Amino acid sequence: MSSIKGSSIKGSRRRGIALHLPLIIGTLISAFPFYWAVIMSTHSSTEIFSYPPKLLPGTHFLENVRNLFDAIDFFGSMWNSFLVAVSVTFLVLLFDSLAAFVFAKFEFPGKGLLFGLLMVIFMVPAQLSVIPQFVLMAKIGWIGSMTALIVPAAANAFGIFWMRQYMKTAIHDELLDASKLDGANFLRQYWHVALPVVRPGLAFLGIFTFMGQWNDFAWPLISLTNPNNVTLQVALSQLNGTHGTTDYGIVMTGALLALIPLLIVFAIGAKQIIGDLAKGAVRG
Amino acid sequence: MAVLEQTPPAVVRPSPSQPKKGLRKYWHLYAAISPFYLIFLGFGLFPVGFSLYLSFHRWDGLGSMEWAGLSQYQYLLSDSDFWNSIGNTIIIWALATFPMIFLAMVTAVMLNSAVRFKGLYRVAYFLPNVTSVVAIAIVFGSIFSTNAGMVNAVLHAVGIDQVAWLNTPWGIKVTIAALMTWQWTGYNAIIFLAGLQTVPGELYEAARMDGAGPFQTFFRITLPLLRPTLLFVLVVSTVTGLQSFSEPQVLLQTSSNDSTFAGGPGHSGQTMVLYFFQQTFDNNDFGYGAAVAWGIFLVVVLFSIINWRLVQRRGD
Amino acid sequence: MVLWYWSGGLSDTVVKNAKARYDSSVDLQAIQIGGQYRSKLITTITGKAHIPDIAGLKGEDMAAYLPNADQFIDLRTLGAEKYKDQYLPWKWDQGFADDGTMVGFPIDCGPVAHFYQFDIFRKAGLPYEPADVSKELNTWENFFAAGEQLRKRIPGTMLLTDVNSVFENVVQQGSKRYVDKDRHFIGDQEHVRNAWALAVEAKRRGIVSDLVNGTPDQLSAKQDGKLPSELGASWAAFDIKNGVPKTKGRYRVADMPVRPANNGGSFLSVTKACREPEQAFEIITWILNAANQAQGYVDAGLFPSTPASYPLKQMQEPDPFFGGQVTTDIFGPAAQKIVVAYNSPFDIALGQPLKDEIKNVGVLGKDPKKAWSDAMSKCRRIAKHLGVSY
Repeated sequence: MSSIKGSSIKGSRRRGIALHLPLIIGTLISAFPFYWAVIMSTHSSTEIFSYPPKLLPGTHFLENVRNLFDAIDFFGSMWNSFLVAVSVTFLVLLFDSLAAFVFAKFEFPGKGLLFGLLMVIFMVPAQLSVIPQFVLMAKIGWIGSMTALIVPAAANAFGIFWMRQYMKTAIHDELLDASKLDGANFLRQYWHVALPVVRPGLAFLGIFTFMGQWNDFAWPLISLTNPNNVTLQVALSQLNGTHGTTDYGIVMTGALLALIPLLIVFAIGAKQIIGDLAKGAVRG
Repeated sequence: MAVLEQTPPAVVRPSPSQPKKGLRKYWHLYAAISPFYLIFLGFGLFPVGFSLYLSFHRWDGLGSMEWAGLSQYQYLLSDSDFWNSIGNTIIIWALATFPMIFLAMVTAVMLNSAVRFKGLYRVAYFLPNVTSVVAIAIVFGSIFSTNAGMVNAVLHAVGIDQVAWLNTPWGIKVTIAALMTWQWTGYNAIIFLAGLQTVPGELYEAARMDGAGPFQTFFRITLPLLRPTLLFVLVVSTVTGLQSFSEPQVLLQTSSNDSTFAGGPGHSGQTMVLYFFQQTFDNNDFGYGAAVAWGIFLVVVLFSIINWRLVQRRGD
Repeated sequence: MVLWYWSGGLSDTVVKNAKARYDSSVDLQAIQIGGQYRSKLITTITGKAHIPDIAGLKGEDMAAYLPNADQFIDLRTLGAEKYKDQYLPWKWDQGFADDGTMVGFPIDCGPVAHFYQFDIFRKAGLPYEPADVSKELNTWENFFAAGEQLRKRIPGTMLLTDVNSVFENVVQQGSKRYVDKDRHFIGDQEHVRNAWALAVEAKRRGIVSDLVNGTPDQLSAKQDGKLPSELGASWAAFDIKNGVPKTKGRYRVADMPVRPANNGGSFLSVTKACREPEQAFEIITWILNAANQAQGYVDAGLFPSTPASYPLKQMQEPDPFFGGQVTTDIFGPAAQKIVVAYNSPFDIALGQPLKDEIKNVGVLGKDPKKAWSDAMSKCRRIAKHLGVSY
């Protein structure tokens, strides 16, 4: 690790401040919106847009929370987001790693064509599929249900590219050959040889996918037409009333409470998550 | 481990005659990729084809489809709102990505040098990414509000006039870009940091012994070695940035009876995807929407190619 | 049985009572839909799932629903005819599609009046009693002049939020909109040019703000008395009461300049997805009977389309929010004077460029001539795309 040590103590202290000061400012900027959300959720709607902006907590938090739970099914929508994110992550990790393993380590007729197909579709942005998917889902009857969110997302081309790249270098051919001689079939090889080695790559993909699904907004906004069964992001945007009747107290409270679940997950697994991210990114 | 005397089972026993067995040999491979490909074909490939088909028709989603030839594409080319949305998207992307990459790199370098509190800093900087994007957009909308927002309060304290952030064309773009920058700087800083940590310390030692200062070290040694990481960050930022939807939509939606996809006064914050949603779902114009989606595709492809070329060249 | 409406679309009390009254036969779930209602409803219908049984239809969106009459049940087949003479005839007719199907059952009408904060008006030396305001601000010229005086006497105060208010209300005062019965674009004709010119004039004389309607900034300005006026339909009272409750007692209602416009006024419909249409129709007709419509007026400012409601006590109650004013005194006569217009299905798409461009003039200061020509070229494009003759 490079560490720039100054020759004199005074120099190093000055350098220390020069180093830490911007970092601290950056930390404050990173944290400020969270603080703002906390403060705003303790005020009533009319206090929120008064000038000068209030920097200290108010007294309306419980009232806002109560109104929030009346207005939308907060925990229900959070559960839906969680369900979708976990399901998609699981499916993506499973399907993508299976397929990536095949593409990375095996030959078979049609391989080039199939892989080429992936590359082509990967270039295509998501919007291209929105209308047809909507029409298709309408025909199958999935509109308004979480299935419409989970199933299409399970085929993630990025995941295949990522894992294939990872597996190519991480899984040594000798190990595979040795396991074959031991009598391992494909599934055994996959489970016992491949998966353990690529765990950091899987972790990265898993985190990436989970966060992406949690924050998915455009497609759920359109396809979840049952107002009683939506994900968290859509529920938050539902708080926007019509003709100026929005209660900003509950909007801010909703925003604050929506921030909390991921923060808790993060608090538990921060080191792991950041570490996996770093490791995975470097390898990839 | 492997005992060579034992004859290993199925694999090394090719059946001489039937060619049919050739494909069957691979059935487990096809089976392994089939879950992915089934979904992919149904929800990935087919929709793309159908979308192309749809773009040559007129359809409101409820009635029947009418053949429209190239008229949807002609309509698209003459649509000033479409071109406006392309401009908005690219400007917002630029306003967000360049500062973000710069800040992320600088932060990564500083974090690399900071011995103490590194873990704490990494957590703090990653925090903005661990959130609900809609919630954060709501919070930012409040921070940037004209009369009661924090940003204007700070400006006022320093003696500058307040800016109507969400009401002017440039204010809107800057606010959206600020939100995107805030969200992604820390994330990318950590990725850069990981890249930095693969640089062997001896290189820095050697540079210092040659008398190189910190800037020289950075530009001659660090940056070139970071190129793969930089490329990765740039590609991901471009793909996600050009498709931004949530940030502008949430920041600029009003509670009046206007479209929720309008993107503010003068459509200043209407990105390409926002425009697509407006045309498709507000006007129920599915045929035109499909054409818009293909238009967006072309723009993204062109832009990515230009981007790629530029970064490649800079490296050589 | 699912009912979709929007905040202020029906009286919450009436909805609650309906739920209780029909509890033995159905579980009536009334859901308030936020955001742009029309887009959500049509997208849901296109998605063929979770379509509500009873759907509210906003008056200004009827143009979008009527061409899709086949998505709704013809209310005549459920026995609507026998209620016909209980409702204002012109309102009744508005719920019919061109092919004669009855799509919507009338809720309210939208006579437009002038809501103003009387304390701000008094402070600015303007007339402040409703009768005086009605009498003296009776032309657009007088209205604008009052705005100028307001700004001079109380700096930082603007009469109206945006120019769209002037533009759309002037158009809605008349009998023509943007496309006529023969699918011909009429948005470049006198009635629209006149409205445009007045809106530009309003901007020029500095009586409109550069805030955007429906944003927190605009609401706080209203609350602080910086935007003391708005031209709104009767149902806008609900929005004021909910959006800026702290202004209680400060607002009054007067006549709007020249003559009342008609803005909105909604309907209830039964969608094809409903599996118990007779039951749904029974619920609709109960919610929209004269007595309940009077209640709707009290709770949400929904001016009844049932004349039988007018003599009811609730309509004559002084409203404490408006300082004890009996608002029916203004809205009643206004509803009589409404001019009925033909709503073409293409009005929404072809009116949008005009509304967008006049907003650019108001909020962004765009040059009005350029804005008009941009609007016209956009309209020409869209007309061609939709098959409207230009």
